[in-house]
Amino acid sequence: MKIKIGEKIYDIEISEEGGKVKIKVNEKEFIFGTPHQIIGGGSIARVSLPKRDFSKKEILAPIDGIISEVSVKEGDFIKKNQKVLTLSSMKMENEIVSEFEGKVKEVLAKKDQKVKKDEVLIRLI
Amino acid sequence: MRIIEFEKIDSTQIFAKNLKNPKPWTVILSKKQTAGRGRIRNFWYSPKGGLYFSVILPKSKIEDLQILTILAAFIVAKTIKDNFPLEPLIKLPNDVYLNGKKIGGIITENVVGKDVKFSVMGIGLNTNIARFPKDLENMATSFKMELGKEVDNKKILKEIIERIKEQLKVIGE
Repeated sequence: MKIKIGEKIYDIEISEEGGKVKIKVNEKEFIFGTPHQIIGGGSIARVSLPKRDFSKKEILAPIDGIISEVSVKEGDFIKKNQKVLTLSSMKMENEIVSEFEGKVKEVLAKKDQKVKKDEVLIRLI
Repeated sequence: MRIIEFEKIDSTQIFAKNLKNPKPWTVILSKKQTAGRGRIRNFWYSPKGGLYFSVILPKSKIEDLQILTILAAFIVAKTIKDNFPLEPLIKLPNDVYLNGKKIGGIITENVVGKDVKFSVMGIGLNTNIARFPKDLENMATSFKMELGKEVDNKKILKEIIERIKEQLKVIGE
């Protein structure tokens, strides 16, 4: 088959030989053993992924209570120790501050909403 | 006991929250407040004569602070009962009444991240207040109005702080 990318036309030939997949692009062969393994020929593009912190950036309710104020909205950039909301619990006012720095992805807590201990209130990216 | 004393301040709670290096059991005391806070922005009428203070609490578990906030109303009521011929009534969780009128209130404010980073308890007591404005006279009363004489604010303050200390120790055990 032929694929046209921009003004250039590529001749592509895909075939299977002994459990291996051979892809021929303009007479250049790429042979795959498994989906991720290039057996021979061709060039290998090495992609190094940036290191990412996969630990969840979630702000949780420290205690049962009612949200009395939400100070951030989706898209806001917040700093560590910045106040994000106020949680009122049995007449105690708790100013909840972020343990992380980041962008607010989701605000799950709403004003006057009842929340339980460990409930996710805000998610950050 | 370290007491930071003012003739006049907006609110002892606000001052406490803005302290750079707050040391546990530091007390912020003011003879009057111009923006005395009740719970959730309620105004606490704070003219000269009353007892208005905030105390920095040691870092504790949030659950313990919750218990302490409720116990503080009992502590205030017990201090009144032990020192004066008065019958205080507790309106849970944080108000103290005399003869159906409010005489004191408690507010605890925490700053919480992963753990409790800061905690301050504010107490307002209508001690030596001769009269209240019209809009409050049916809701509030004072020691002076009930007893017909003035009381020693500093003595009451010290007694309340000592009892709070004692209780927090018990809760934490």
